[in-house]
Amino acid sequence: MIEPNRVPGAGERDGGPRIGVYVCHCGLNIAGKVDVPAVVEFAARLPFVAVAREYKFMCADPGQKLIVDDLREGRINRVVVASCSPLMHELTFRRATALGGVNPFLFQMANIREHVSWVTAEVPDATEKAKALIAGAVRRVALHLPLEQKRVAVHPDTLVVGGGIAGIHAALILADSGHKVYLVEREPTLGGHMAQFDKTFPTLDCAACILTPKMTQVRTHPNIELLSYSEVEKVDGYVGNFTVTVRRKARFVREDLCTGCGECVAVCPITLASEFDEGLGVRKAIYRPFPQAVPGTYTISRRGVPPCQAACSIHQNAQGYVALVAQGKFREALRVILRDNPLPSICGRICTHPCTGACTRALVDEPVNIPAIKRLVAEMAGDFRLPAPERERPQRVAIVGAGPAGLMCAYELRQKGYRTVVFDALPVAGGMMAVGIPAFRMPRDVLRTDVGRLKQIGVELRLNTPIGRDLTLEQLRRDHDAVFVAVGAHVERRLNIPGENLPGVHGGIEFLRRVNLEGPFSLGARVLVIGGGNSALDAARTALRCGATDVRVVYRRTRAEMPADPREVEAAEAEGVQLQFLAAPRAVLGNGRVSALECVRMKLGPPDRSGRPAPEPIAGSEFRLPCDTVVATIGQIPDLEPLGGDGLVRTRWDTLAVDPLTLETGVPGVFAGGDCVTGPDVVVNALSAGRKAAVSIHRYLCGEDLRHGRELEGSYRTEYAIDTQGVPVRRQLRMPSLPPERRRSTFDEVHTGYTPEMGMEEARRCLDCGICCECHQCADVCQAGAIDYSMKDERRELRVGAIVLATGFRAFDARRIARYGYGIYPEVYTALQVERMVNASGPTGGEVRMRDGGKPEAVGIIHCVGSRDENTNRYCSRVCCMYSLKLAHLIRERSGAQVYSFYIDMRTPGKGYEEFYDKLLAEGVHFIRGRVAEVSDWALDPAEQGKLVIRAEDTLLGVVRRVPVDMVVLAVGLEAQADADEVRRRFNVSCGKEGWFQERHPKLAPVSTFTDGVFLAGACQGPKDIPDSVAQAGAAAAEALALVDRGFVELEPNSAFVVEERCSGCKTCVPLCPFSALGFDAVKGKVWLNEALCKGCGTCVAACPSGALQQHLFTDEQIYEEIEGVLSHA
Amino acid sequence: MRYLYYPGCSLKCSGKGYEESLIPSFQALDVQLDELPDWNCCGATAYMSVDQDAALSLALRNLALAQRHGEAGDHPVDLIAPCAGCYLALHKAQHFVAEHAEAAAPALERLARAGLGTGATVRVRHPLDVLVEDVGLARVHARVTQPLGGMRVACYYGCQLVRPYAVFDDPDRPSTMDRLMAALGADPVEWPLRTRCCGGTLTGTIPQVGVRLSELLLQEAARRGAAAVATACPLCQFNLDCNPRHAADGGGHRPLPVLYFTQLLGLAFGIPRRRLGLERLLVPLRSAAAVAAGGPHD
Repeated sequence: MIEPNRVPGAGERDGGPRIGVYVCHCGLNIAGKVDVPAVVEFAARLPFVAVAREYKFMCADPGQKLIVDDLREGRINRVVVASCSPLMHELTFRRATALGGVNPFLFQMANIREHVSWVTAEVPDATEKAKALIAGAVRRVALHLPLEQKRVAVHPDTLVVGGGIAGIHAALILADSGHKVYLVEREPTLGGHMAQFDKTFPTLDCAACILTPKMTQVRTHPNIELLSYSEVEKVDGYVGNFTVTVRRKARFVREDLCTGCGECVAVCPITLASEFDEGLGVRKAIYRPFPQAVPGTYTISRRGVPPCQAACSIHQNAQGYVALVAQGKFREALRVILRDNPLPSICGRICTHPCTGACTRALVDEPVNIPAIKRLVAEMAGDFRLPAPERERPQRVAIVGAGPAGLMCAYELRQKGYRTVVFDALPVAGGMMAVGIPAFRMPRDVLRTDVGRLKQIGVELRLNTPIGRDLTLEQLRRDHDAVFVAVGAHVERRLNIPGENLPGVHGGIEFLRRVNLEGPFSLGARVLVIGGGNSALDAARTALRCGATDVRVVYRRTRAEMPADPREVEAAEAEGVQLQFLAAPRAVLGNGRVSALECVRMKLGPPDRSGRPAPEPIAGSEFRLPCDTVVATIGQIPDLEPLGGDGLVRTRWDTLAVDPLTLETGVPGVFAGGDCVTGPDVVVNALSAGRKAAVSIHRYLCGEDLRHGRELEGSYRTEYAIDTQGVPVRRQLRMPSLPPERRRSTFDEVHTGYTPEMGMEEARRCLDCGICCECHQCADVCQAGAIDYSMKDERRELRVGAIVLATGFRAFDARRIARYGYGIYPEVYTALQVERMVNASGPTGGEVRMRDGGKPEAVGIIHCVGSRDENTNRYCSRVCCMYSLKLAHLIRERSGAQVYSFYIDMRTPGKGYEEFYDKLLAEGVHFIRGRVAEVSDWALDPAEQGKLVIRAEDTLLGVVRRVPVDMVVLAVGLEAQADADEVRRRFNVSCGKEGWFQERHPKLAPVSTFTDGVFLAGACQGPKDIPDSVAQAGAAAAEALALVDRGFVELEPNSAFVVEERCSGCKTCVPLCPFSALGFDAVKGKVWLNEALCKGCGTCVAACPSGALQQHLFTDEQIYEEIEGVLSHA
Repeated sequence: MRYLYYPGCSLKCSGKGYEESLIPSFQALDVQLDELPDWNCCGATAYMSVDQDAALSLALRNLALAQRHGEAGDHPVDLIAPCAGCYLALHKAQHFVAEHAEAAAPALERLARAGLGTGATVRVRHPLDVLVEDVGLARVHARVTQPLGGMRVACYYGCQLVRPYAVFDDPDRPSTMDRLMAALGADPVEWPLRTRCCGGTLTGTIPQVGVRLSELLLQEAARRGAAAVATACPLCQFNLDCNPRHAADGGGHRPLPVLYFTQLLGLAFGIPRRRLGLERLLVPLRSAAAVAAGGPHD
């Protein structure tokens, strides 16, 4: 694709450089500051200079003719022009040089305008600097060599970035010319801001009527490929040959299948503020910004896994079922719960709900009561069944222990079709849930029902079947294909203090088990419970129900460090349990039976390994607590003896050692999890272990890798932040419970549960952190099967020859000017909000309405909000006067309100614009000249009561006015996109200080940029209205077409070259070349360079230690010579 | 945390309650205030227009002393100026030196003759700024032992704190004091007059204008259900607390206590009332309005 250009006639006919120096006046631009005749005189005396001339405008034809003639007539063979920046006219003078019959690169430019006359104060200084620069250029050009320009073919395809009106228009023109166009738009639809408008000024024609047909044209045009909901991530290459990487964001709805029927929207439970309606209306998590959107495909907003779900070790989709409950969809909510958890009634009661600990709502007031909602869902469902396995498998799995870990594992494996048999030594299923947790927290019938459902789907239960003497683990292994050990931790830890063996001292779990299995028994009146966990509180509250009258919990730290759930602590206190903090038992005292506990007082020291302050005894502070019974609930360990010694390894904490990722024990096919591995832990972690084991066992039985991709199992934290600003405080709805005085005498459940109405109300407190809650309602109703939650962002690489940037603007954030009250007073709106309001398809159906639904009687429009303002933006946004006039007209038309328009100057230059202003004046809109000082609700007289008062100086009357209105419209200015700086770097274009993309020349190259092949259209270049944007888009398209239709571009011949005799063969340069243009010739021991691949970046030139790599136009000799020249005059 | 502290004249006389509440409240947050030795008048608000050179010299001398204090400790120094007038005068002096080098030269020479620097590196801070930015509202909240119980407080910033130099808060709608009050358990009143003029010295010179201005503030605060006004400027506090409206309104209005925000800070920290200068208020906090609103009382 590289073809050598013809070399223009040689300039080296007769040896030795003869240089012509041409000094330009640039009118008075240069001559006003530089003494041009003196400079010419100086130049004429420089070595090799044959001719030195001056001219008023060197770039004009007569100026160029001076050069051409001198060359043609043989007076000179090299050229120096001292004038403006090479960016302006280097090309002009190179052409003149070529026209004179000399290679165009035997030319050098000295910039004495931007670098001298414009930036130097005094004439002598400017003149001297001009001389120095010319001296440098003369010495440099003497060393210039004739060079050839490379010609590179241009890729015929084009890229348009931004699907607003400018991008649409440019894309259509390019496509109509027969070129393939990629149109990339980051939002889910085309249309940009124009799609939000109702009418356009000054003709008041309907925006949608002129925009949507063009959008449809884009969709149906055979030459346009629309990449919506996509962003350009990377641009490589150069003019004519760009390689562009586009990230197609996952919509989670397949564009090829979605028919746009909208059934999904009706069932989606998540509602949020609509961006398209500027927050005045709402949309669903699955949405299409507006009905005429192109493409018509829906999009699901997903932020990620919500914090509640991430924190849950079995990843219950709490947001999902909470959202459904908020809508009263209890049956659907149950389906969501059962996806992850077969024991909803149990978990709704006794789970320690790490989900609520992570709940974002806590930042506002209190977390959502997720477990209570789950419990309600299970209760509402009544007699439901678990999903039955879809297939049967022949393998058998034995599960030892019918606690939560064992049951979960049995369920998960049964779902996959395995035959699962659960063995348990106890006469009841449920493990610690059945014998450790009292009935007033976990009613036995609820437990039986949940377990019963597992039996319904074929999980086999063998109770009263301990593993050990009669049935060994070895036997189980022989009879089954895999074994899961989940025997729990049921052996009481001992206090190790004197008197512990006295009658009347019980272990907490032993006590609870006895009550749970055999019923209440008497403990005497005074009971001391040692410990601070949930079990200790369970024991204390059970003791009350056994008839004790004075129950006291003794804990060595303080309330803040108690591991028990604070709600349970609260409930226990309400029932009359007393708490004794900072006390540790020293000895149990008594004569044949317990009579007192000797304790020592503690103080809190520095944190221990658990991060909690370590309690330290206070010497000499011993005291006695008289009692009839002591219940020690200080933890449990598993009973591992019966399992036998073969292969199973124990840790030093008397638990089973397993691989934490897979739960494998040392014995093949034997897995272990739950409390017997972790020590006493909460139910949800046991469930998590059960599931983990099931995954491992399934993979083990299928011969798959056990370790692959399991990092996200178990609890983790999510990273994203939710904006809770402005969420009204609404505290958690407390669950009704039995009165404390009744509770003490009954084992009936303490908390009686939410009513459906309460559950729905509580569920509505959810802040929808993940946005889409993955309830799958949309997938259920989508007949086309277009919903795809597994969709991932995709990257595409495009090859294009030219790029049109049409990335548009963003509206000024009116919150930045607090004195105008946006975000403080509800009746202060931005102009874009009012555009939506007056739009027939907008949130109010085209009516001008206040938030309370009433019609405003007076409306104030404030111009120049974020424009012409020292504190925000100094520029005029150009469109606001006109759109304010339009809105004034529409507001009057729709509501009949008096409209007060506060302006600094009316700016109405444009065809038909001034006439429109005249029309508004005649319509009776009140125009007040003066910048508004503030908007407030401070009423000074009765007429202002309940109104917003606009205070402004009326500069025509010379008075300060207070104008009471019902509604304020802020005519917000236009600003560069928030990410304009990133985008401009990506496309290598420059920005002005306001962030607008910089055109190549403000007058003569308004749509090109300093990067060849990248063009600008629309408001990304600066504020402009629709007609200007469209005109500019047309111009950008035409310039892009001129480039791609020519078919080739000439590249600057600035490639590197190797001076072989200097090359030492060190190869430093080879790996550095980003374009792989360098190689090594092993025979010669030298590097070589492929000129066709070299892009002239200069990396190798800088890196070469021996100066063997040089770059055309920038050889060391040329640069040094230029420096010498400048310095010789300095 | 340690800061250099510039009291200015008000905090030593008419605004003594400000100092009396500031020091123990900051101490409760482990913030030590070291009074700038040998400080003098800040130059005051109006003097700059009367004798620019003299006013500038006064302000700069304080800054230069602070700078020297910092150099002794070899670190840039933060100087806390609680009085909004001093705060502005000191800031203004620094701006003036930076922007009008020539006009400031005589004053700087005068300081140089006394062996003093320019004070340019000193950071002039307001206690509100320090509480919100350095201490952090989370730490303030954690220190609260007597939450203000939803007391309705109108936070009144006055003009000089955020204008013309909006160093730490929005010049149109400052919110640091409101956020501080919320952290103390109070319920700040939403009102637009946070920075409106209190009457300034017009209360003394043209009372019919000055008194009227502060009366408007009190009237609006009351209308919006405030049980107290919190201020951060001795002159604002004086003008509002002394407004004849309190005395004149026999019926209709309850007199509205006007406190320094530091006094409410101290109350929320459980510092005894007698250590917070509350007895100096003309309208006592014990007033019916504050008590009825659930505010703190003896």
